[in-house]
Amino acid sequence: MKQAESILSLRDVEKTFAGHKAVDGVSLDIARGEVVAVIGPSGSGKSTMLRCINLLEVPDSGTISVDGKNLDTSGTVSARDLTQLRRRVGMVFQSFNLFPHMTVLRNISLPQERVLGRSREEADRRSMELLERVGLQQKADAYPAKCSGGQQQRVAIARALALDPEIMLFDEPTSALDPELGLEVLAVMRQLADTGMTMIVVTHEIHFAATVADRLIVMADGRILEQGPPQQVLDDPQHARTRTFLSAIKDR
Amino acid sequence: MDVLSIIVAAIPVTLGVTAASFAIGALLGLVLVAGRRSRWTVVRGISRSIVEVLRGIPPIVLLFIIFFGIGSGSLRMEPFQAAVIGLGLVSAAHLSEVYRGSLLAVPKGQFEAADALGLSRTTTSARVIAPQAFRVAMPGMVTWAISLLKDSALVSTIGVAEIMSVTNQYARSSGDGLMPFILAAAVYIAIGTPLAIWSRWLEKRFARIRKAA
Amino acid sequence: MKSAIFSDWAEWLPRLLDGLWVSVQVTGLSLIIGLVVGLLLALAAFARTRLLTWPAVLLVEIGRGMPALVMLQLVYFGLPSVGLTLETYAAVVLALSLTTAAYTSEIIRAGLRAVPDGELEAADALGMSRSDVMRFVVIPQGLRIALPTLLGFAILIFQISSLAFSLGLPELLSQAYSIGANTFRYLDVLTLAGLLYLAVTIPAGWLVARFERRLSRHLTT
Repeated sequence: MKQAESILSLRDVEKTFAGHKAVDGVSLDIARGEVVAVIGPSGSGKSTMLRCINLLEVPDSGTISVDGKNLDTSGTVSARDLTQLRRRVGMVFQSFNLFPHMTVLRNISLPQERVLGRSREEADRRSMELLERVGLQQKADAYPAKCSGGQQQRVAIARALALDPEIMLFDEPTSALDPELGLEVLAVMRQLADTGMTMIVVTHEIHFAATVADRLIVMADGRILEQGPPQQVLDDPQHARTRTFLSAIKDR
Repeated sequence: MDVLSIIVAAIPVTLGVTAASFAIGALLGLVLVAGRRSRWTVVRGISRSIVEVLRGIPPIVLLFIIFFGIGSGSLRMEPFQAAVIGLGLVSAAHLSEVYRGSLLAVPKGQFEAADALGLSRTTTSARVIAPQAFRVAMPGMVTWAISLLKDSALVSTIGVAEIMSVTNQYARSSGDGLMPFILAAAVYIAIGTPLAIWSRWLEKRFARIRKAA
Repeated sequence: MKSAIFSDWAEWLPRLLDGLWVSVQVTGLSLIIGLVVGLLLALAAFARTRLLTWPAVLLVEIGRGMPALVMLQLVYFGLPSVGLTLETYAAVVLALSLTTAAYTSEIIRAGLRAVPDGELEAADALGMSRSDVMRFVVIPQGLRIALPTLLGFAILIFQISSLAFSLGLPELLSQAYSIGANTFRYLDVLTLAGLLYLAVTIPAGWLVARFERRLSRHLTT
């Protein structure tokens, strides 16, 4: 992959928690419009790597650049750089994390007003568009507690999209959901991939990874074990650890 | 004598009032919580009313009713006795609530398992439920002891010569209204802080045990 | 005999109700002032700078650690020696406000802490500024979580207002005591005063409990 095309690059990113290297020197280039799925056993550092990208975890060393703009993380990152980074990188969490005291509409509109400075009308209009896209316009005035988990996660996706990010990060977006509710979230993500959004998805959904992702990355012990087109990695894994992990998932 | 040594000399009285009231409350609280879990509706209703009245009335009003009201009539009472009875009753109500909460925290499965094993009601209560409930109740009991320590200052108003009372006297006779009260406050904080730390430690330990289970 | 008691009660009641009104007034004023200060202290204790956190925590621990009675005496008898002499009424309101601030700041801080970390992360990930996160996410939810406990404390501070008796404020207990001193009918008049306190605290307690049940039903999925 040519450097010029990449919208996101990680160089030698490291993150240590209490003496344990969660991310151990990861380098990665993601092309605009690429959909990357990241799999690996729990504790492999895949979530931490993802959280380093939008600096929810500040790496101990390494650089992160979004669209050619370099962030040296070894110093302190200024609040302005942080905001700039985060409005370009959207994130969806395993536990949805909607604000329970706001309606669905407010959840999506408030960040637009505060971060992008949109007017209330403009924000609400954009929110309704996105709610329609995720099939939830009828839930605009409901509180999160009155929505199913799958609906909450779709709202969370709409909330992240409302800031018009260039990259979307998904941290095990279906792990907290019953299988059938997970499907409706995956459908929205599939649709989003079709629009050309750059996506990095940490997931256990092998089928989704196989059918939607352009590239599959396998992580273990904080490192990238192997990567490539999903079918190739799934059918012909190069590492014994990948084979063990894949068969453990398939046997379930 | 300087004011600090006067205050320090009164510490045993404060601790005595606190400890005696706590002991009475700890025992009477058991009776009240048993009443609230009784089979009979009337007993439950009466126990609940007693708790609500004792918790609803300001402790100083209860002390006055006992000391000036009852004590001025047929039943002569020393200030110390009235103090311990009054604060003991208040403690009983609060501690019964602590006990009740801790009993609710024992999982229902424990009662069912004991039943399934054919244990008697007494054995179940004494050997299975009480030890678990007690661990849960400990932090709340210590927290109450801290409140009680501070409430014991009230008994100065009926003439028990504890910290607050001797401080007041000294302030009045010396004309210095600032230093004596600052010192008294410091002494209360000095006694209460270790208890607060202990309570927090118990709470943390309990949370850990629960997580591990 | 019984009817005699009731006719006495009827005679005392107006004075006691006057006293009750004073109790309610100082309670209300102390709650308003104390809650504002309590919220500020809670925010200071919640801040990221030690410079703010330490003094706030220290003040709160001192305020909570001393008996309310000591706070009253300290304000009334102590402040004049640093040049601030207050009337009884003002001294009582100031002392009860300080006590309220110390206790409620702790309650509010616990509420702010109870806001789930995931929501703070989500707000961070959306690029919201620290002050926006506090204003739109943490404070509204933290206050809502703290509300039942704060209401419970309001009942407690109403009870504590009876300590103003020690400074001679003509609140409910003072009125009852002075009637007792004149008539030597301590038991009767103090019991009546006790019933008046209960007439406020018990229904208020029920309302708080009911409110708490309703709130917990709403917030859970």
